[in-house]
Amino acid sequence: MTQKNRITGGLVDRSTTLNFSFNGNRFQGHPGDTLASALLANGQIMMGRSFKYHRPRGALSAGSEEPNALVQLRKGSHQEPNTRATVAELFEGLEATSQNHRGSLENDFMEITDLFSRFLSAGFYYKTFMWPKSFWEKVYEPIIRHSAGLGRISFEPDPDIYDKGFLHCDLLVIGGGPAGLSAALAAGRSGARVIIADEDFMIGGRLNAETLEVDGISGSEWAARAAVELAAMDNVRLMARTTVYGAYDHGIYGALERVTDHLVTSNGKPRQILWRVYSRRAVLCAGATERPIAFGNNDRPGVMLAGAVRAYANRWGVSPGKRVAIFTNNDDGWRTASDLSRQGVNISAVIDTRDGEPRAQIPGATIAMGGRVMDTRGRKAIHSIKLVDGRTIDADCLAVSGGWNPNIHLTGHQRGRPAWREDISTFVPGQDLPAGMSVAGAANGTFTLAAALAEGHAASDRALSDLGMTPKGGDIAKAEDEAANVTAFWHVSESKARAWLDQQNDVTVKDIKLAHRESFRSVEHLKRYTTLGMATDQGKTANMLALALMAECTGKTIPETGTTIFRPPYTPIPMGALAGRSRGKDFRPYRLTPSHKWAEEQGAIFVTTGMWLRSQWFPQPGETHWRESVDREVAATRGSVGICDVTTLGKIDIQGRDAAEFLNKVYVNGFATLDVGKVRYGLMLREDGMAMDDGTTARLGKNHFVMTTTTANAGPVFRHMEFCRQCLWPDMDVHLISTTDGWAQFAVAGPNARKLLQKVVDSDHSITNEDFPFMACGEITVCGGTTARLFRISFSGELAYEIAVPARYGDSLIRALMAAGEEFNVVAYGTEALGVMRIEKGHAAGNELTGQTTAANLGMGRMVSKKKDCIGNVLSERPALNQDDDLRLVGFKPVNKSEALASGAHFIARGKSAVMANDEGWMSSVTFSPELGHSIGLGFIKSGQERMGEIVRAVDLVHNKDIEVEIVSPHFIDPEGDRLRV
Amino acid sequence: MSEYTMTALPALGGYQASFDGVTLQEVTATAIVSIAIPLGGDDAMAKALQDAYGTAIPRAGHTSLANDGATRFLGMSSEQMFAVFDHAGAHALDVIAGNLKDAGYYTLQSDNWVALRISGPRSRDALERICPIDLNSAAFPQGKVARTTMEHLGVIIYPDDTDSFILLSGSSSAGSFLHALETSIHNIL
Repeated sequence: MTQKNRITGGLVDRSTTLNFSFNGNRFQGHPGDTLASALLANGQIMMGRSFKYHRPRGALSAGSEEPNALVQLRKGSHQEPNTRATVAELFEGLEATSQNHRGSLENDFMEITDLFSRFLSAGFYYKTFMWPKSFWEKVYEPIIRHSAGLGRISFEPDPDIYDKGFLHCDLLVIGGGPAGLSAALAAGRSGARVIIADEDFMIGGRLNAETLEVDGISGSEWAARAAVELAAMDNVRLMARTTVYGAYDHGIYGALERVTDHLVTSNGKPRQILWRVYSRRAVLCAGATERPIAFGNNDRPGVMLAGAVRAYANRWGVSPGKRVAIFTNNDDGWRTASDLSRQGVNISAVIDTRDGEPRAQIPGATIAMGGRVMDTRGRKAIHSIKLVDGRTIDADCLAVSGGWNPNIHLTGHQRGRPAWREDISTFVPGQDLPAGMSVAGAANGTFTLAAALAEGHAASDRALSDLGMTPKGGDIAKAEDEAANVTAFWHVSESKARAWLDQQNDVTVKDIKLAHRESFRSVEHLKRYTTLGMATDQGKTANMLALALMAECTGKTIPETGTTIFRPPYTPIPMGALAGRSRGKDFRPYRLTPSHKWAEEQGAIFVTTGMWLRSQWFPQPGETHWRESVDREVAATRGSVGICDVTTLGKIDIQGRDAAEFLNKVYVNGFATLDVGKVRYGLMLREDGMAMDDGTTARLGKNHFVMTTTTANAGPVFRHMEFCRQCLWPDMDVHLISTTDGWAQFAVAGPNARKLLQKVVDSDHSITNEDFPFMACGEITVCGGTTARLFRISFSGELAYEIAVPARYGDSLIRALMAAGEEFNVVAYGTEALGVMRIEKGHAAGNELTGQTTAANLGMGRMVSKKKDCIGNVLSERPALNQDDDLRLVGFKPVNKSEALASGAHFIARGKSAVMANDEGWMSSVTFSPELGHSIGLGFIKSGQERMGEIVRAVDLVHNKDIEVEIVSPHFIDPEGDRLRV
Repeated sequence: MSEYTMTALPALGGYQASFDGVTLQEVTATAIVSIAIPLGGDDAMAKALQDAYGTAIPRAGHTSLANDGATRFLGMSSEQMFAVFDHAGAHALDVIAGNLKDAGYYTLQSDNWVALRISGPRSRDALERICPIDLNSAAFPQGKVARTTMEHLGVIIYPDDTDSFILLSGSSSAGSFLHALETSIHNIL
């Protein structure tokens, strides 16, 4: 197809032809085209269907405010819905399809909804689908959801990659139009670190769409030269295709850079980058958005904003029609007529709502001063317009200008309220701007070129002066101030046909009036009731008209009617960009223990615990079920010796003259009397008296302790103790530092643990029971002089040690230990076997330390020393936490030994129904005990310590299990602890 | 003699790679010792540091260099600094303790961290993708140090030469940290 609407001029590169397709039809365009400009050049006026009524729609605008021309770009997994054709940069092979229709774009079956429009007014869902109630979820909602929606996702994983980044500058210039370029040049020439970002792929803003001159050359040429100058400055970062979408605290802005969207393929590089920009000052030069006028059937393809029609002609060399009419309430609309006429386009009429003399001579055009368009004709593209005086005028394009609204969105992202300016009939930025932000140019309501250039320059100078820098930006670029008078005019009241305000959501004048009649008069209510201003365009071309109409209905002024709150993002941000790299295995970092490589070699099955990857069990040849592996590991450990990597436990080095007293305060039990070379179990509470964490702390010297925490609480405990140290007791000489990653630590457990260790511990360190008894610790050497630490502690209930070496030796140590243990048939055991043995021994762990249990609940009430104070001591004495029938941690075994217990089951007395009122507690941990040959559990039950031998029911309603269990001691093996001390 | 031999294994196995404009390498022989200044012991520490190394206690966010240039002290907080120096073994603590005596509390930190040097004219471009710190040479010159996070991981960063930075991050997550850096480099090239 030929580019029948391509006219002379424009900034596209006509020496190169780009092939692309739309709905399978092949077209041609040029570098510099957008998809919309290329479609218009080819005479493809209709580009989509409306959301609700499925009415034919064409491009309304030439920018990111576009409500209608939404397309699906690319194919397959690369497909992206709701792409605005008006900002999609054309590239060779681009494939686009229209959306929101059933059948073809031209023949949409769903257009039938337009016939029922009188029944589909604002709030019709709420009024219509009331009966029968049960139909809502099963019938109505599925049908509505099937019919609604904008575009379709591919339902395939996004193959593109995305990145994030951080930028810093003295001055962030948001927008690369005349004011932005003027500001960036002034700041850049002054030596400031400048970032200038513009959403367009061509820097210059409206300068590229106008025929105005700057410094004696065309505005577009001046912009191009400015861009070259800025790009050459080391202190300036010029970012095209970058939308600053949000203003956040402390001068931080969010920006989306579309890196490869204009290319055929990303070639494995990030498609988009989400930047966080730290600015010391920012100048918002985001320009303005033209607003339409509401009149009958003003949504037909071919009805466009006047500034957009002018942009298509001046920038892209495209006339959207052969006979163009203009409907305006301001001087700017006349420039569309003048510019197009100069390019040879037939102007059929200029209709100005204002009385008086015509603002320009337009050859061949019907001039209607004080006129109004009340309707249009043409189903898939307009062919004529009808004026209120009854005249019908041929036009295949109607350029409408209702004035301009400054793009003040970012000024309101921190709840700043705009101010009304009557002289230009629009809102401008208010006084309460985000800290460090100023506004210049059209975004500030300064619509004329010379004034915008001056204001940008001045804003830059002020910002630099604020920062203590000397502005050296030179002269302000010279230009003329064009005519820009406007007289407010919002809608044509004589129109009988539906007049659209929000074309994206099919909200009409009638809907606003209905909302008013039904008392949805607050702008926030108006928005939610009518859906005005929602979806991808956020009502950029609609909100002002709706406000004006609501003001008219209520008899208030527009500023009295107010505005909704602007929130980020300014334009849509793809979910992929928000996710960045955080996808799949890169969702979060992994922490590996020093024995990880060795464990991989053994075929270990890994489990994530927090960020750690831990060995869960080590399957051996012939084992077909995890239980086989775990039972073997437990039996071998209890029978001889086993080794487990416990590096993940938090390790905190505590030093200082007051370290012992500090531990006395953070633990419930005493540590001041702990001898050097000894370890003690400790329990710490939160301030509210609930158990926070437990672990062991070893005293390596008079003023030197090493604390271990649970894996999960390593960070929180460190943070808690730093708070205690810095804020609660700043006069104590205590210093903390994490050593978790610094030491590879292994539990060596089982009757032959000592014999095994004696083969690796250097002989000048005796670890006999006499020299190194239960709960001893010391700094030793292993394997011929390597620094190590040894702790005689046990989580398994067996004779056990934990041995630690600097992490760099961890791989060597596990290999040495396994080799040394060969003669004892040593096994490596994972977290599952660890869990089995700790339940058999009755040790509390994460399932019991939930943050909702007390020391008394855990059976450790007597550990809370009353000879000293500690964190949580006072509140642990609350009466509600000290009832006679408090929960106690006890053991459970099934009456029928063949039955398996389930954690999460609740305890109910025999003969009582399984309801909340009869709930006596819950099972927290269960396992199959290889030692006992049946399932066992730990759990909390009221007065548990006094109910040994009692039979209760463990009811698991989730899994429909109800079994009888006997309350027993939580210490299933070696209750006296004899094995620990041999 | 022990039957078993212990071999030190760097967190990243001594990784080293060069890209167009960026070089990334694990610094394996770096020892790190945390030095905590006892409450009220600032003067004693200042004197010990001056006597032993001819330098001053660095303010938080700053570094100071021993007069022989071999040991760099990173100011981590008002009462804590890291001594960073070349030392291949695991006895770095003894070196610091021997020099500063009882002026401070010392904790071996060498194996807590993986140290990577990223250098070259495009090193800042790569770091820009994951590092929130302003790395402009005027804003972050040699002599400064910062603690930050990169891709959820805690990192200590300081410039050690023109277009060259040392990054310290947890050794257990060294693989993820390296992946983050390699991805950044890939994304900019």
